[in-house]
Amino acid sequence: MSEHPGTRNLLGPYVMGALGAQEERIVEEHLDGCAGCREEAQDLRLVHERLTDLAYATETPPPGLKDRVVAGMPHGMPYREPRRRVPPWAAVAAALCVLALLGVVFASGVSGLFAPETATTLRPTELAPGAGGELRIESSSANTQAELEAWDLPPLGEGEYYELWFGKDNGRVSAGTFTVNDEGRVTCYMTVPAETIGDYQRVGITRERFPAEPRMDDARVVLSGELRRL
Amino acid sequence: MAGRRETVLPAGSERLGMDGMEDQVLVRRVASGDERALSALYDRYAGLIFGSGVRYLGDRGLAEDLVQDVFTSVWRNAAGFDPARASFSTWVYRITRNQATDLIRRRKARIRTVGGDLLFETGGDDPSGELSRSFDVASALSRLSLVHREVIILAYFEGLSQSEISRRTGTPLGTVKSRTTAALRALREDLDEDRGSDDE
Repeated sequence: MSEHPGTRNLLGPYVMGALGAQEERIVEEHLDGCAGCREEAQDLRLVHERLTDLAYATETPPPGLKDRVVAGMPHGMPYREPRRRVPPWAAVAAALCVLALLGVVFASGVSGLFAPETATTLRPTELAPGAGGELRIESSSANTQAELEAWDLPPLGEGEYYELWFGKDNGRVSAGTFTVNDEGRVTCYMTVPAETIGDYQRVGITRERFPAEPRMDDARVVLSGELRRL
Repeated sequence: MAGRRETVLPAGSERLGMDGMEDQVLVRRVASGDERALSALYDRYAGLIFGSGVRYLGDRGLAEDLVQDVFTSVWRNAAGFDPARASFSTWVYRITRNQATDLIRRRKARIRTVGGDLLFETGGDDPSGELSRSFDVASALSRLSLVHREVIILAYFEGLSQSEISRRTGTPLGTVKSRTTAALRALREDLDEDRGSDDE
């Protein structure tokens, strides 16, 4: 098929019926003698039909619905299964298992099961006296993930949320938003840019209010910390 | 190719770098309480959910309730989403079907029949598989590159001709045509892969 790039590039608009009469005729004459392009046109026609179905099934929701939906979510963190109380015998058994596993791990020279590469202790600003937190970042082949644990953050009002930022000398990047429970606590996991390991030196958490533009601004920072390689 | 959807490239999610994020990454962010990840998923699927509601429930008010119920369910259950069991598009399609069935049951709505198929009333499978496939296509669309997605959205959802797309985007007509072909080709490959992984 590579010897027909001109015609081949027209197959999309051809199956959509979007070519002029002359180009359509050129494509059809080519298809008569080229089984490969005929097969490709057949495949693209199937995709075209699926897109047409999607367009047919799709309708613009009324303006304002998105705000109502997103802002109307139950306040606080999404629902999670409550942790079950562990009976004392199970806790002892689990502890023994962990000790045994650690013995195997150390004996085999493996450095650890959970190995964060960067971490920081988050210190409060005057906007959140008494608050604190820990942030650990680890990477795998698939992505880089941050585990954030924070406590005693001020409760949020209507439309408010916290935002996690990574900062360096010439820029900053948002890593996501979160809310806290009634006690000001949060434990969450976020997928963060891989550059957060190495490129960024600082972390900050700001308190934001929808719909204002979120900003990494000293006047909004409630917790901050310096990232350190482990 | 009727022009039904106004959202082309959701500005808010693009600013946050979420526009190109895969569904399952967004769901994980939703599970950690990130409302803007939910907002990005809304941009991808709300039009299809609302359109399905209008079509199968026959009532725009109920269709709005359906959108609200589906995204509330996504918010509440995001932590339990397991990408190893099904793609997000399959998951959200099932939620849509179940929530619509609940809506009908709760409100005893009169539903319009489409080709004799009472899809949501019975809670059964999508008889022709058309709606389920549309969720897969919506998901695949979000994975296209920006330039490919642009020509597809403008052609299929805004009903523009190739010449109109050329003028709107300031791109030579020949480039629009080859880009449209490349976009359809990329979608075909993505859908083939998606079908393979959901079949596993």
